[in-house]
Amino acid sequence: MPLMWNWSMAERSDRGRPVAFRGGGFSPRPLGVVGPLVFIAVLAFWEAGCRTGLIPPLVLPAPSEALAALAHLVETGLLWKHLGASLQRLLVGWTLGTLLGIAVGFSIGLFSLARAGLAPVVAAIFPIPKIALLPLFVVWFGIGEGSKVATILFGTFFPTVVATYGGVDNVDRNLIRMGQSFGLSWLSIVRKIILPGALPAILPGFRISAAIAIVLLVAAEMIGAEFGVGAYILLAGSLMALDELLAGVAILSVMGLTVNWLIARLERFLLRWRT
Amino acid sequence: MLTTRFAATVRRSALALLAGATVLAGTAVAADDKIKVGALRFTSHSASFIAFEKGYFKEAGLDVEFVYFQAAAPMAVAIASGDIDYGVTAITGGLINLADKDAIKIIGGALHEEEGIDGSAILVSDAAFKDGVTSPAKLAGRSFGITQTGSSFHYMASRIAEREGIAMSEIKLKPLQKVGAIIGALKSGQIDAWAIVPHIAKALARGGAVHIIGWVNDYAPDYQVTTVFTSAENAANKRDLTERFLAAFSRGAADFNAALVDKTAGEDAAEATVRLIHKYVYTSRPYEKAAPSIRNGAMRLNEGARLNLSSVQAQLDWFKAEGLVKGEIGIDKLVDGSYVETY
Amino acid sequence: MELRLAGLHHGYGNIEVLRGIDLDIPAGRIVCIVGPSGCGKSTLLRLIGGLERPERGEVVQTGAPPPGCLNPLTYIFQDFALLPWRTVEGNVRLVLEDHGFGRAETAGIVDDVLARTRLSEFRAAFPRQLSGGMKQRVAVARALAVSPAFLLMDEPLSALDAQTRELLLDDLVDLWTRERFSGVYVTHNLREAVRLGHRVVLLSRRPGTVREILEIDLPLDARAGHAPELEAHRSRLWQLLRDEAHAADVELVDG
Ligand SMILES: Nc1ncnc2c1ncn2[C@@H]1O[C@H](COP(=O)(O)OP(=O)(O)OP(=O)(O)O)[C@@H](O)[C@H]1O
Ligand SMILES: [Mg+2]
Repeated sequence: MPLMWNWSMAERSDRGRPVAFRGGGFSPRPLGVVGPLVFIAVLAFWEAGCRTGLIPPLVLPAPSEALAALAHLVETGLLWKHLGASLQRLLVGWTLGTLLGIAVGFSIGLFSLARAGLAPVVAAIFPIPKIALLPLFVVWFGIGEGSKVATILFGTFFPTVVATYGGVDNVDRNLIRMGQSFGLSWLSIVRKIILPGALPAILPGFRISAAIAIVLLVAAEMIGAEFGVGAYILLAGSLMALDELLAGVAILSVMGLTVNWLIARLERFLLRWRT
Repeated sequence: MLTTRFAATVRRSALALLAGATVLAGTAVAADDKIKVGALRFTSHSASFIAFEKGYFKEAGLDVEFVYFQAAAPMAVAIASGDIDYGVTAITGGLINLADKDAIKIIGGALHEEEGIDGSAILVSDAAFKDGVTSPAKLAGRSFGITQTGSSFHYMASRIAEREGIAMSEIKLKPLQKVGAIIGALKSGQIDAWAIVPHIAKALARGGAVHIIGWVNDYAPDYQVTTVFTSAENAANKRDLTERFLAAFSRGAADFNAALVDKTAGEDAAEATVRLIHKYVYTSRPYEKAAPSIRNGAMRLNEGARLNLSSVQAQLDWFKAEGLVKGEIGIDKLVDGSYVETY
Repeated sequence: MELRLAGLHHGYGNIEVLRGIDLDIPAGRIVCIVGPSGCGKSTLLRLIGGLERPERGEVVQTGAPPPGCLNPLTYIFQDFALLPWRTVEGNVRLVLEDHGFGRAETAGIVDDVLARTRLSEFRAAFPRQLSGGMKQRVAVARALAVSPAFLLMDEPLSALDAQTRELLLDDLVDLWTRERFSGVYVTHNLREAVRLGHRVVLLSRRPGTVREILEIDLPLDARAGHAPELEAHRSRLWQLLRDEAHAADVELVDG
């Protein structure tokens, strides 16, 4: 009985010691203050670098200069013109792209014919950078709002399609069978079982498509845009006005954060049935 | 000491990234001073090409390597970053802002509008023409293609509007980034008007899709279209090198004017010059097709790299008035007038 | 209303699952179906409820469903099949929504079935907040809401722990005693079968055929007091099932 023997040996030699803890880790906790602290530290270091001449103005303007450029935008009221133009394009393009994407995603998820016909087309066009198609959009939709909205629309359409039909595919088949067994109509099954069941996949798709929409904004506003955050950034770049460039980039970043926050709210509301 | 060297390194590498300088070509001989010259593959850059091909640079003890760019703006950035030493392009908002940061200086003139020589033309689309836009006076309410706000196209548009008494708010500027995009938009009637150098204008007008309705020279007389510029460092501390570069460049310009602008050198010289330029410009086209474009595009290059300071001043004032450059910069910060004759 | 299965054959690909099933399912009684794993019990239940079409043979419905019956053949699933995004009440309401009831009428039915399954105070809870037994009671409430002629139950207690199972089994007995519903109850568990079945149908291993039909005459509510008799039935069934189960167990799945 070697086990017994070991046991009695240990008993005799010392009073035993606690078992070493080996669990823990692998589960990052939220540390609320760290993010803002790092952000502020980086900004402070950057500002100090610019003030002392360690970072020459040609390389990187000070955050305070970017802030001044931003303040100038606010004072002149140009900010609202740029934001208004961009938000309108984003809203129209993203909404249309998303609605179309959900519709097509649902058809692919529900109908064999649509799946056979459309899924390969979507797979083939999805990876094409929409920026490359910009000249084509200009020919099709003109240099006005059409081509800008179309660029954003196309950019958001494809990820939404893929997320949607992935979501539809992942809806629990047992729930659908349950619906059938209670004699629910086809429309009821789609509306009350498949749509909410696919939502956990569709909503994260929104985050991705919204980010893509903001990325594409700069490209969309390359052509014939007088106002818009993207146009403002492009102009700042061509004028080597780096402070304005940074101000514009900061606006884009804030737009991204805001959209993300809104979608997170929407997710929390629509998916509150999850843990 | 340490900080400045660090700063210089950071600046160099950061700007090199921004500039995205392209392919290198050229020769290498030991004893000469190696310099890099930025160029666009346009006829207006012929002075450099001629000086290189005819050995004027070599005679001046310069070993020149060309660095090619797609547009004017990145060339200014590349000068500031030290990736190239000398360049020739239009005065842009970016260039002025870099001068404001003590990075670059204009040291001479190149292409300019001149009475009696076909310069940049004002074009309208066929649709606009049929709609009655037959002279620049009728541009009010029309759209005008530009590459970017603050580009030379923007400047020309505002000059035309000013002379015709049209408020700029009545001309819809359409930034389309690239010359190719503007041509497409003009041909298809998506924009109404544009102004462009003669060889492109004439080629387009010949097709019938667009019409020439005026000349920029009538609106911006003696417009200094392009200038020679270098880093502030070169201008201040490498006088000998810079003088030699300008001298060789001027010899190239003189040959160009004699062969293709004044046509005083005879047809053989003209032919030879066009062939020489064709090595650099329109290289993808056969010579027969390229030659007329090169000849049509011949505008006066400043003799001795003279610089029309009053035109530069006018442009600077305009950039300031448009709010495209910061208010403080004076002409002294933009131009080093010690190298060439100014007028 | 009664059901009659006549010469049912079914298979998947070249696996024959059911062979020649003839069975009468009477009204007002519970028929339990037992058999070794993979013999086609669930398949049979799907055929009965019209969720799948048999290859040969037919399921015939005789007589009219009772008045007020919204969904004559109603399932209770092993995995509950509740919509996680609907509350208890919402899950019950789901199956009423397509029938064009008014608001008050729907609320009346929902209140009634929740009361009958003792769920009234949990009406606003989401499924994730409920224990397994509670979830299955919600599924029962949902089934009752459509006043079914037949309840088709596929191992409704298998996902639950032993104690909960016991409690729910009592609930089902109570329910039957009150409502006298007709039911088909598929199970692995012979104790459940003899507790709940007026008739127990033993299927052979795949391809499933009817091996034995056992009638148990004791009234459901009286069975708790007749343990030895039930145990005798159970052990007789086990004798029959053991050999089938053993043979099925050593069979290769796609053999
Ligand atoms: N949709 C299907 N496609 C292919 N094969 C299936 C399908 N459904 C069931 N089968 C096969 O048919 C056979 C019977 O399945 P069924 O689920 O009816 O058995 P069961 O008696 O309910 O088994 P268990 O006791 O495990 O619940 C099994 O071998 C199973 O693998
Ligand atoms: Mg089963």
